[in-house]
Amino acid sequence: MKGYDAVVIGGGVIGISVVYYLSKKGIKVALVEKGDIASGTSSRCDGNVLIADKQPGFDTKMTYDSQLLFKELVKEIPYDFDYTQRGSIYIIESEEEFKIAKEYVKKQVEDGYPMRMMDKSEIHDDEPYLAEDIIGGVEIGCDASVNPMALVFGLSLEAKKNGAEIFDYTYVKDIRLDKKGAVEAVETDQGMLITKCVVNCAGVWAPEIGNMVGIDIPIKPRQGQLLVAEKTFPVGKRKIVEFGYMMAKFGDENYKRNVSPELEKFGIAFVFEPTLSDNFLIGSSRAFVGFDTDVSIEVMQGLAERAIRFFPVMKDIHVIRAYAGLRPYVDDHMPIISKVDEVPGFYIAAGHEGDGIGLSPLTGKLISQMVTGEETILPIDTLSINRFKE
Amino acid sequence: MMNKKDDNIIICRCEEVTLGEIKQAIREGALDVTGVKRRTRAGMGLCQGRTCEKLVQQIIKEELGKKAEEIRPSTFRPPVRPVTFGTLGGK
Repeated sequence: MKGYDAVVIGGGVIGISVVYYLSKKGIKVALVEKGDIASGTSSRCDGNVLIADKQPGFDTKMTYDSQLLFKELVKEIPYDFDYTQRGSIYIIESEEEFKIAKEYVKKQVEDGYPMRMMDKSEIHDDEPYLAEDIIGGVEIGCDASVNPMALVFGLSLEAKKNGAEIFDYTYVKDIRLDKKGAVEAVETDQGMLITKCVVNCAGVWAPEIGNMVGIDIPIKPRQGQLLVAEKTFPVGKRKIVEFGYMMAKFGDENYKRNVSPELEKFGIAFVFEPTLSDNFLIGSSRAFVGFDTDVSIEVMQGLAERAIRFFPVMKDIHVIRAYAGLRPYVDDHMPIISKVDEVPGFYIAAGHEGDGIGLSPLTGKLISQMVTGEETILPIDTLSINRFKE
Repeated sequence: MMNKKDDNIIICRCEEVTLGEIKQAIREGALDVTGVKRRTRAGMGLCQGRTCEKLVQQIIKEELGKKAEEIRPSTFRPPVRPVTFGTLGGK
């Protein structure tokens, strides 16, 4: 039997980041992960650190603050996690999109974010392999990219140096509460961990952990599939996203792209991510298929079709792999970073859907401040689990 | 016993991963082929581990003193062999 100030459940990017920021404050913390670290969603995703796909206001602010924390992490962590800040580009297909994009950019610029519209000649000068009919774009100067698995490994090594203990291949069986209903211990298949503080960072599995203390966590797995291309010449310089991605993400009913029913059905929208390994990833898809992580040929075909639509030159480049991951989806597209009033000592940091990598430092920082009772760097009411109560 | 010089041998040719890097990954917690892959990129390249997978398995076996059958292979995912975006997405 061992005692800890805090026990974190889940060894993905969120759990590891929480452990890192807690350990930095000198808190005695343990992490419990059922498999290897970075073996769930954090190894089946891309490495986006984007404000590009965020709603103006708090959503953007929170992500931008996380981008600033990434700059600190690069200095704090000796492990190279392939951080690059080349900015990102939205590509625009139609006049209608151009109009929506202009409104969006106007709001974001007013709030002080480095975004601007690009006209047709400018975007084609910038990205010469782009399909000829693309009428313009948006440049987002601050957007960045990381290797998510390397980020997890780097943070975990650093957290261990700070004294954190990581129990991988360890399964949480139950969470024990005292007579007053407060957290008392975490029971694992390797023994008991005594603690008054538990942080549930189990992502798509967070509801299962929530059930152990009798609370409902409204997170659903949403599958996203990606294609990996072979090493090749630089097809595109930066992260390139079709503007319709934002519509696919938020499921805007008033806007319809001119795409086939299949692409619509699988929520396919073009996302291009060049990696530091000289290849690139192609996303994205969105589907509710339970906990299934098998790739489907229909989605692969749709992703490839959409990729060629924007970059015809890709037709001769090889796809070497496809993979699928489960994004922890919440109806209002905001993560749950919250204490739980009904269960003193129980915290949740989960439900980031496709933003987990980008929001990981901010999430770790916020939880570390909440646990130590400090003022948080951002107001956290919007992220509270209480927003789901009537 | 492998000497220090041997650590520079390339095990994964596609991603140019050395024996030394793979041993480091095992020291950092990798217990199977996928664990090594996620930490080093061994097996992530063009051949998708067809060349190095058995070697990686062998190294894990030696480093951790396990039996070969205890070391899980990596997950195979489509496509079975590289296919162009054109073939995949063509109509």
